Amino acid sequence: MRRTTGETIIFWTLPAVAVIWVAAFFLFPGFLPPMSPRAPAAEVADFYLDHTARVRYSMILLNWFCVALVPILMLIVERMRDMTHRTPVLRYCMIGCAGAAPITFLTATVFWLLAAFRPDRSPDLTLLFNDLGWVTFTCGVPFLVAQSLFLALAIYLDEQEEPVFRRWVAHFNVLVAAALVPAGFAGLTLSGVLAWDGFLSFWVRNVAIAIWIVVMSVVLGRSLRRDSAAAEAAEAAEAAA
Amino acid sequence: MKRLAWRGDPKRELWLMWYATLIFYNVFTVVFFVLTRTQPPAPPWYDADQATAWFAHRHQGLLVGFALMFALGGLSMTSTALITYSIRRMSVSRAFAYSYLILYAVSAVPGLLLICLAMTVGAMRPDRDPAIQHWLYDFGFLSFSGTMGVFLVGSLIWMAAILLDKNRVLPRWFGYLNLCNALTEVVVSPAWILDRGAFSWNGTIAWWINVAVFGMYTGVFITLLRNMIIREDFGTGPLPDLPPRKPRQRAAAEVAEVAS
Amino acid sequence: MTTTQTVTAPTEKTPRRVPGESGMWFFVLFESLVFTSYFGVYLYYRAQHEAAFLRAQSHLDLWLGVLGTIALLTSSWSVARCVQTARVGRYRLALRDAALTAGFGAVFLTLKSIEWARQIHMGNTFTSGDFFQYYFFFTAIHCVHLLIGFVALGVLAYQLASPRRRSQEIVETCATYWHTVDFLWVLIFALLYVAR
Repeated sequence: MRRTTGETIIFWTLPAVAVIWVAAFFLFPGFLPPMSPRAPAAEVADFYLDHTARVRYSMILLNWFCVALVPILMLIVERMRDMTHRTPVLRYCMIGCAGAAPITFLTATVFWLLAAFRPDRSPDLTLLFNDLGWVTFTCGVPFLVAQSLFLALAIYLDEQEEPVFRRWVAHFNVLVAAALVPAGFAGLTLSGVLAWDGFLSFWVRNVAIAIWIVVMSVVLGRSLRRDSAAAEAAEAAEAAA
Repeated sequence: MKRLAWRGDPKRELWLMWYATLIFYNVFTVVFFVLTRTQPPAPPWYDADQATAWFAHRHQGLLVGFALMFALGGLSMTSTALITYSIRRMSVSRAFAYSYLILYAVSAVPGLLLICLAMTVGAMRPDRDPAIQHWLYDFGFLSFSGTMGVFLVGSLIWMAAILLDKNRVLPRWFGYLNLCNALTEVVVSPAWILDRGAFSWNGTIAWWINVAVFGMYTGVFITLLRNMIIREDFGTGPLPDLPPRKPRQRAAAEVAEVAS
Repeated sequence: MTTTQTVTAPTEKTPRRVPGESGMWFFVLFESLVFTSYFGVYLYYRAQHEAAFLRAQSHLDLWLGVLGTIALLTSSWSVARCVQTARVGRYRLALRDAALTAGFGAVFLTLKSIEWARQIHMGNTFTSGDFFQYYFFFTAIHCVHLLIGFVALGVLAYQLASPRRRSQEIVETCATYWHTVDFLWVLIFALLYVAR
């Protein structure tokens, strides 16, 4: 009971984080539609001159809260304890990814904030920071891909009557990993579906992340409820005895 | 325990980690040595125009190679997890295992991701201002070679755990080899100071000798982790010897008995 | 486990191929190989620019180098004595020898610091020319080894301090490390100060 109370609190930070993320996503003027990698330096510099405030505030928000998913990921890691694994290696993998992935996003916000800090900087430098921000944001998927794969593997190896997460969650995670992989190739081209404003690298990738968060939170919420019910039953049984 | 044993090998998680480690280091080698040819590193004494030409010349290789790293780089966590597990299996505090896990998870960003970012951004626009290309060139190579502390302290943590361990998870000589690996991180530090000679980022000492030590270290620990998995008995006491050795010893003992 | 037995039993009864732990000898061999390759690189570059190297070398104070070498050689002698006295069970004397070793090590460190300070004062730093790159690299990496040596001496003293520990194998292992540091210095000294 005690354990799940704290976990429930962590779990309910999720809607707040989601609201902030969505707000930051709409507040950043370069996401809808995504900025074009083909824009010349002067145009990019103008963008930061025109939208200085919105870039700054949205990225400060993201800088605060892009790491806010870490506690939620740790809830998943805790659920993995109940899986029928012989060793903690998959949990270690998840913890490692949970550390490395948010730092990647944090780095992206730093580059965007740098670009907006002195928008009157030489356009070439603004373009550099813009490129670094976008490439970090878009290509920085290795630990997200790995995280989904490790989680899927963990679920596949969880062989009990009532598994912690159902099998379809594993299939779903593999699918998400597959949807994230193309974004890693965003550097290859400045136009088309792979470019950082392209269908695969921007829309598929970000929608996949959003759906992953929604689906995993529903699944996690259910398993949390089951755990706390079990804990309550155990407490009641103890009290009766 | 029995409920698990019926479905395949109880060591399958460890084996999956081990094979993923093997795949990662192979992909890593192909990406850095073949596709991007960022190892051995390009000369640190290149001026802005030469660095710009270098990016233009390597355009496709850099982009494809590092895209592969962006896609598969997360596999690096498997070796970290397996090594963390090896420490966890030792008769030492969990603090060692967790320290190693955190240090090497953190190392992924400065030690691997930054070079991918800098080189991708550099190769993306070969027509960028040469001064900026030059900076990206330095940034890529120096962040890769010059990320030292996490590996230095991480190796020392592993070393200390091995030397204190009573479960014989890994041989003690490998503990000392960790010290050799940690020392390479000291030896590479002049790469931040000098742009030519044996101590620069592609120098004979700071790169070639260091890479030889690191390569040996990596090959050795992959082999030793394999042995560890074979020996694993999922207990908490000392790990048994490698199975193939036992029959041979027993056979020798029997021969000796018969002879006497 | 087995090591504590060897303490109580005379060492002659348990024939070991090498003093101390064999893992440490692996380390000695490996580090020797690594340093040999460093020396090879140094000699190669030295041969390329012999005049410049000789000119820079003349800035070194040979006497400071000789004094440092004597200090380290003496420390090697005292750590060897420490192993001997520990072997016959005279642990208080062995502890005194360990302290003596650390003392000579500290003398070496002091001499090294004086020498570095003098060179830097003269304007010879890590970035002033090829010879001084190697000079500072070799002396610094050796210094790192020496500092690790103090940790080894600490382990040695810890073993000797209590009757519950006193593993002769660990004592010998630490002493082996200390000898290696000394041995590497002799080579570095010969290459940097003496070779003309």
